[in-house]
Amino acid sequence: MNIIEVLRYMGVMMELEFRRIMHDRTELYTRAIQPILWLVLYGTVMSIVRAIPTGNVSYIAYITPGILLQSTTFVSVFFGLQMVWERESGVLKKLLTTPLPRSSIVIGRSMAAGIRSLFQILLIVPVAMLLGVQFINVAFFILSVLIIFLVSGGFASLSIIIASFMKTRERFMGIGQAITMPLFFASNALYPVELMPKAIQYFAYFNPMSYAVSATRALMITGDLSTLLFDILAIMIFDIIIFIFASLAFKRIIE
Amino acid sequence: MAKTAIHAEDLVKIYANNFKALNGISLSVEDGKTFALVGPNGAGKTTLIRILTTQIRPSSGNAFVEDLNVLTQDDEIRRIISYVPQEISVWTDLSGYENLLIYAKIFGIQKEERKKRIDEVLNKMGLYSVKDEMVRYYSGGMMRRLEIACALLTKPRILFLDEPTIGLDPAARKVVWDELKSFKEEYGITIFFTTHYMDEADMYADEIALINRGELIKKGNPEELKGLIGGEIIQLELDGYDEEILYKIRELDFVNEVFREGNEIRIVTKGKGLELFDFLDFIKRLGIKIKKISLKQVSLDDVFLKYAGSSIEARGRAVEVARVRSRIRKA
Repeated sequence: MNIIEVLRYMGVMMELEFRRIMHDRTELYTRAIQPILWLVLYGTVMSIVRAIPTGNVSYIAYITPGILLQSTTFVSVFFGLQMVWERESGVLKKLLTTPLPRSSIVIGRSMAAGIRSLFQILLIVPVAMLLGVQFINVAFFILSVLIIFLVSGGFASLSIIIASFMKTRERFMGIGQAITMPLFFASNALYPVELMPKAIQYFAYFNPMSYAVSATRALMITGDLSTLLFDILAIMIFDIIIFIFASLAFKRIIE
Repeated sequence: MAKTAIHAEDLVKIYANNFKALNGISLSVEDGKTFALVGPNGAGKTTLIRILTTQIRPSSGNAFVEDLNVLTQDDEIRRIISYVPQEISVWTDLSGYENLLIYAKIFGIQKEERKKRIDEVLNKMGLYSVKDEMVRYYSGGMMRRLEIACALLTKPRILFLDEPTIGLDPAARKVVWDELKSFKEEYGITIFFTTHYMDEADMYADEIALINRGELIKKGNPEELKGLIGGEIIQLELDGYDEEILYKIRELDFVNEVFREGNEIRIVTKGKGLELFDFLDFIKRLGIKIKKISLKQVSLDDVFLKYAGSSIEARGRAVEVARVRSRIRKA
């Protein structure tokens, strides 16, 4: 595997996504509605109830990183699943006959999901700020955006693996939900892991979403960086493993 | 002997669902020629082209593209070929120019070179004036020409086209082929294409291979193939006839074969002469009245009909309509 080729192709795929988004932004806006509702309605109500211990930060601030991640994960998972569509279109076939290494097609495609995620962040963060959420500083914020970017790529690859088992494009929505919802609810996105039943806690420890939330919450809201390195390491391991499996699963998509 | 651009040896492909798409195909294509792979839908055309373009591997057999082995040197093959799949392979939510830009970047064409090459292929394919429009507003023919433009960006030595004019009207088909021919003349590339339009193969190919059910039926240049059948076809309806007349016609020295379909009699003549006049004399002497008569050139479809036992055109239609619809839906 030629790293430079992979990186170059990743860049091209991201540019492609960027250009597509610039031409048609409707999907971007519609996908931002749900997370904004989470913050505005659910967040506000739960802040009043004060049912969940969140230390010295407000509940809305506590869930903002989780909501961002839920939204970007959802976008990435769908982005990966779309490969089933592309199996029937000519673009994928054509890409296979270019000198690109095959793994770069998968990884490039996955990281392009990150571009869509960035746009989600741009739409959701201003709403959070209007609701009074305070971010620590710009440098930390940018670092957390990079983390979200990496996680998005991983989740897109995860959905490529699942897509490789799908024969048709039906049940698309259902499968998308079935992947994202457990990841979201069985993580520390909305409540501390300690509040969950033991069995779900174990799942949460293997859930990459938990580490992503932990890292971004530290960088955006609490400033407590004690577990940051460990979280980033966990995310990197997740990405690498999932990229390898997605590259293997890709064979099944081609034939 | 001329250089060989493509050489396939006993290719077999069996898919995971046990469908045998190719059943031992061998063929060679000379460098610089236009080669057509002709057959009905499901004959194995796309499978063969996908093996030659290193997308999938054969179950057994081997193939070479400019002496490079598809099994072991696929990386190198991908550097010298270009491929246009049957399905839409451009992004319809980008402009024509952006599509070419993205492909140029995928292929790693250097920045200084990029603009020049993109403008060149846009001009060649007659798309310069619409380059900034969204591809989804392009006509089918324009979309095809953009796809070919994308394929030509890298100046390939061999161009693979899978059903290049499927779903296009005759005028649009002609434009596509005129552009292809001029490009081929300029750069001397080899073109390997599949089609189920017999007339297309007849008009544009130097060499044709007829395939059916994963097997090669006949191979040759269009004239050779049509020569297998005979010269011309006389179609006629007679006012009353019997088997004896048919027998007598069959015995005529210029007649190759006689078929009967309902009231219609089809006579395949041996050469390209003035046999129609001889035939009219013969019928007059018998004192039979002719209700209808017409003369038709032998087409490749007649060749296919003879060797595969069924007509390619008739089988093609329904599937094609379905496919064209799905193409439109996806766009």
